Amino acid sequence: MEISVNSASCYKNDNLIFRDINLTLKNSDIALISGSNGSGKTTLIKSICGIQALESGNVSINDVDIENKNSTYIENIIYVGHKNSLNNDLTVYENLEYLSALDLSINSNNKLKIEEAMNYFNIYKYKDYPVKNLSEGNKKKTSLARLVMTKKKIWVLDEPLSFLDDKSTDIFINLMIKNQKNKGITILSSHIDLSKNIENIKHLRM
Amino acid sequence: MNISKIANLKFFYTKTEKIISFLSILTLFLFIAGIYWGLFVAPEDYLQGNSYRIMYIHVPAAWLSLQTYIFMAIAGFIALVWKIKIMEIASVQSASIGAFFTIIALVTGMIWGKPTWGTYWVWDARLTSELILLFLYIGVIVLYASFSDKRQAVKITSLLAIIGLVNIPIIHYSVEWWNTLHQGPTVTKFDKPSAHISMLLPLLYMFLVFNLYFITVIMKRIRLGIYMRERNSKWMKEYTND
Amino acid sequence: MLKIIVQKELSVYFRNLNNIFLPLIFFFLIISIFPLVLGPEKKLFDKIIPGIIWITTILTTILTSNNFFKDDFNNGIIEIYLTSDSSIELILFLKIISSWFFTCLPIIVFIPLVSVLFNISFDSALVILATLIIGTPVLISIGIFGSALTMGLSKNNILIPVIVVPFYIPVLIFSASAIEAVSIGLSYEMQIYILLALLLLTLPIMPYLLKYTLRLSINN
Repeated sequence: MEISVNSASCYKNDNLIFRDINLTLKNSDIALISGSNGSGKTTLIKSICGIQALESGNVSINDVDIENKNSTYIENIIYVGHKNSLNNDLTVYENLEYLSALDLSINSNNKLKIEEAMNYFNIYKYKDYPVKNLSEGNKKKTSLARLVMTKKKIWVLDEPLSFLDDKSTDIFINLMIKNQKNKGITILSSHIDLSKNIENIKHLRM
Repeated sequence: MNISKIANLKFFYTKTEKIISFLSILTLFLFIAGIYWGLFVAPEDYLQGNSYRIMYIHVPAAWLSLQTYIFMAIAGFIALVWKIKIMEIASVQSASIGAFFTIIALVTGMIWGKPTWGTYWVWDARLTSELILLFLYIGVIVLYASFSDKRQAVKITSLLAIIGLVNIPIIHYSVEWWNTLHQGPTVTKFDKPSAHISMLLPLLYMFLVFNLYFITVIMKRIRLGIYMRERNSKWMKEYTND
Repeated sequence: MLKIIVQKELSVYFRNLNNIFLPLIFFFLIISIFPLVLGPEKKLFDKIIPGIIWITTILTTILTSNNFFKDDFNNGIIEIYLTSDSSIELILFLKIISSWFFTCLPIIVFIPLVSVLFNISFDSALVILATLIIGTPVLISIGIFGSALTMGLSKNNILIPVIVVPFYIPVLIFSASAIEAVSIGLSYEMQIYILLALLLLTLPIMPYLLKYTLRLSINN
């Protein structure tokens, strides 16, 4: 599998956000996008997932443009945004159940899988807490727990490390390394330099 | 692909300036001629006297108000499906022109109503449909104004215009239904000119002049839209400095 | 998957019982203001009560569908929808239905009470019920479309009604006309058929239209 961003540029409010971004990732690659606030990290991440339209350039998976009808990107990409994508009135378990229903690579009704995901991030004890009662860090972990469940190979993550403490950061890094061993591709944005923790990380500065 | 699109805007902006000045003058003269024809040459109506002459403004304005909406929606559709920038600009810019035609049609309709019905406003099917059309235009205009990101705004308003166009026949039909139910088919001689050909010819002529006016203004506004959008670009700075 | 989606949609409503009761209370509040303003004259209300019921229903549905996607947009679920490989159209359809279920159905259930309060004849009440049952899903869908269009805007409270109310007009006209027809002893089947046609035109297209609209709106 190969994902590539080809001379992408994007405007917001008539201001150029970024121009001529090129990035090609193959199996087992991890790319870290870093840059100051407002440099367009989130916008780039969103355009890789097809949420944000590019002004020019394109994103393609296995040489098929993601805007093409034949593109299989939606079956391969999992996106975890900066926002937690959790419903505040539902419990941790219910949220994960809902999110796994939105991901066809997960067998729905798979209780064990959801419990495994909660255990992985040590949030099993909050299983029946409504999400609105959780701390920001635990909300983040709940939203990242989708990654434990999914079988999708291309992970696109916007600021996954924010609000995570050191221990949870290590847990999350191990998860990425696991995806790397499974020949998955990870694209993440972060302020933290991960080159010490992960070998062969590609670095894109915006 | 991108370059050709930019070039398209550039081409339009740089090549149309003279055409627009020519069209403006032409429209003005033809309009004055049409007014003269309608007000002084065309014969008096045996029922309505001279008051019918406002028809030469009212009817073309009403036609154009609908035609502009259709234009706006089709331009919006092309802009959304084929991502052609100049159509985005054309779609958005035609909203205020359409609203202007609608207001003209409403005001002249009210002025015409006074001698015909003895009151400025009657809730008849034509005027009510025209009023709803004004609300549809206002919806598009305020929606566009609400977005700070105008690139985003044109897409959203184009979609609204398309949905509006799909709904206009339904709204129109329902208003007709409502009107026949409540008033009976009484006051529709307004737009059925069983009149003489010498009355109809100026009407047709005025319709063409109004169309010419629309073309002139929309070209002018597209130029303005291009300027607003490309004012920071290289070619625009070079062009305006020349 | 369907079961989970429906379950979650219902739990969200049931955990905020305000979601269910406030629209109903609002409906009764507005309806009871009319006699206070216009005077309780029976003859007048015989003529205008169908219109009042419909206008009040519109106000209620506008207020509830106004911020329909606001929460989902703010907490990022819309982004997940748009990157999901499961059937988002189905989810959006279920969301429309559950919104109708919790805001319009309570009003419909209480129409008999309204009929008693305003002395509406049994035949008229039946037609009012029929028009509400067929017409309100269309209103809700249109309102939700408006909220999808303006999802990215922070201040959109009065913008949505300004945009969507013109689209309500056909439903209103045919509903009012059906009720009027039955009250003067005419046939009202035609109007009901047209309302049904509007419903069948709107409801199947709406999920696809909504998904497309969300995709355009999310860019903000």
